[in-house]
Amino acid sequence: MTDPYKVLGISPNATDEQIKDAYRNLAKKYHPDQYADSPLKDLADEKMKEINEAYDAITEQRKNGASSWDGNRAGGYNPVGNSGRSGFSDVRSYIMSGRIADAEQILNGVPPERRNAEWYFLKGSVLYRRGWLEEAKDHFSRACQMDPGNPEYSAALNQAMNQGTGVYGGYNPRANMNAGGCNSCDMCSSLICADCCCECMGGDLIPCC
Amino acid sequence: MFGYVRPYKSEMLVREYEQYKAIYCELCRQLGKEYGWAARFTLSYDCTFYAVLALSVSGARVKQRQGKCAANPLKKCNYLPSEGEEYKKAAALSMIMTCHKLRDNVADEGFLGSLGARCLLPFVSRKAKKAEARYPFLGAAVKAAMEDQRLAEEEQGGVDRCAEPTAKMLSEIFRELGGCQKSLCLPLERFGYFLGRWVYLMDAADDLSRDLSQGAFNPFIARLGLGGKRELTEEEQKAADEACNGALNATAAQMLPALHLIPMENFGPLVENVVEKGLPEMQREILFLHVTRKKRKKEKLFS
Repeated sequence: MTDPYKVLGISPNATDEQIKDAYRNLAKKYHPDQYADSPLKDLADEKMKEINEAYDAITEQRKNGASSWDGNRAGGYNPVGNSGRSGFSDVRSYIMSGRIADAEQILNGVPPERRNAEWYFLKGSVLYRRGWLEEAKDHFSRACQMDPGNPEYSAALNQAMNQGTGVYGGYNPRANMNAGGCNSCDMCSSLICADCCCECMGGDLIPCC
Repeated sequence: MFGYVRPYKSEMLVREYEQYKAIYCELCRQLGKEYGWAARFTLSYDCTFYAVLALSVSGARVKQRQGKCAANPLKKCNYLPSEGEEYKKAAALSMIMTCHKLRDNVADEGFLGSLGARCLLPFVSRKAKKAEARYPFLGAAVKAAMEDQRLAEEEQGGVDRCAEPTAKMLSEIFRELGGCQKSLCLPLERFGYFLGRWVYLMDAADDLSRDLSQGAFNPFIARLGLGGKRELTEEEQKAADEACNGALNATAAQMLPALHLIPMENFGPLVENVVEKGLPEMQREILFLHVTRKKRKKEKLFS
């Protein structure tokens, strides 16, 4: 087996706290949720297993068996599952086994008048896996419109919408990316503030205002 | 590619910055060595990123050495040569892509507008042929992407359809870096797909207002319901920028999990800097700060 410390990317004399941090970061990075709809799922699972084994090995080594944190290790989240009354169970099983092209072929063969909410959801799932994210989002929202109460469809739509916010990658305009950000607006308002403070005390920083 | 794949300098360690610069200089040297001194002008951040990724994946042994800068005889440069083929492939890619870009310009623009491209084309095309002969997979991937792109635009395809050719191209080019190791090829392929998609979408978002005023094709026009408009009000522009940013973010969200699964030997932090910091910074500069192309070109990464 490879060196468990190397797997977690820490030195053998790291503290227990550092080990936990490293494990937590890696577990977040390779968490099954992130790969639920991805062809990389197996690889990620393998990596996660490796990380778990390394962490277990280290805690075992350190005889720290009573480690209080057991993490959120298992429990993948996969929007396409077996649904009780599905009109498209064959498509669902193709998607679950990763046979996206086959699933799409069947879906495309469905005549327009038979395309219900589930059809839009499944077509969206196929598009999502292929990386056609914008059309996937359109299909999910169509599915939600046609069947507003369905938790499966709204979960898929939510996921697709959330990924556009920048929280999972990309740029989020509502989060301040510049550490200690200081733009011209901040400078002006700070100056005006300073001027007000001075004026309170009888002085004046900016004579014209 | 279009120069969007850049590192974010403020978030780099000095050591990482120096490594990146040395790889950049080495690629420049390689271009000069294999395709003549004028080929150095094709050097881009995009192809440098390809070289960085190739070096990280192959785990090539590199050793820094000092030399004279080709562009400025008074300057000294650090070079980071490798015994493998990473730089050769990156140089070939640079030639091939430049050639296709010039051909595109000649086809799209009027006689005067493309005069520069017309003059350069014979030289570049000869060198690109040489590059294609050496690395047929690169030539095939780029050529297929160009043809499919033309088709997608003729069809007036949606955003996803139009992004597909560039995405597929990078997906194929990156997959090759994994050799025949499946656990390496799969994430590389997926990462390449979404990086290519990101690059295409970024370019389309960057061109949106220009394409609107010229009446040119842009997949975001139909997507955002802006058909028939020539100019956007400030509010419309803001909404369009937000929407484009959303599409780019969704793409980045798919790219990161794939990136994390690529085992990288030496320059992992550089690749991560570009993808996790450099790309978002590019979105910010273009969509929120509205830094123009001209200004971006002037702004130098290296001093």
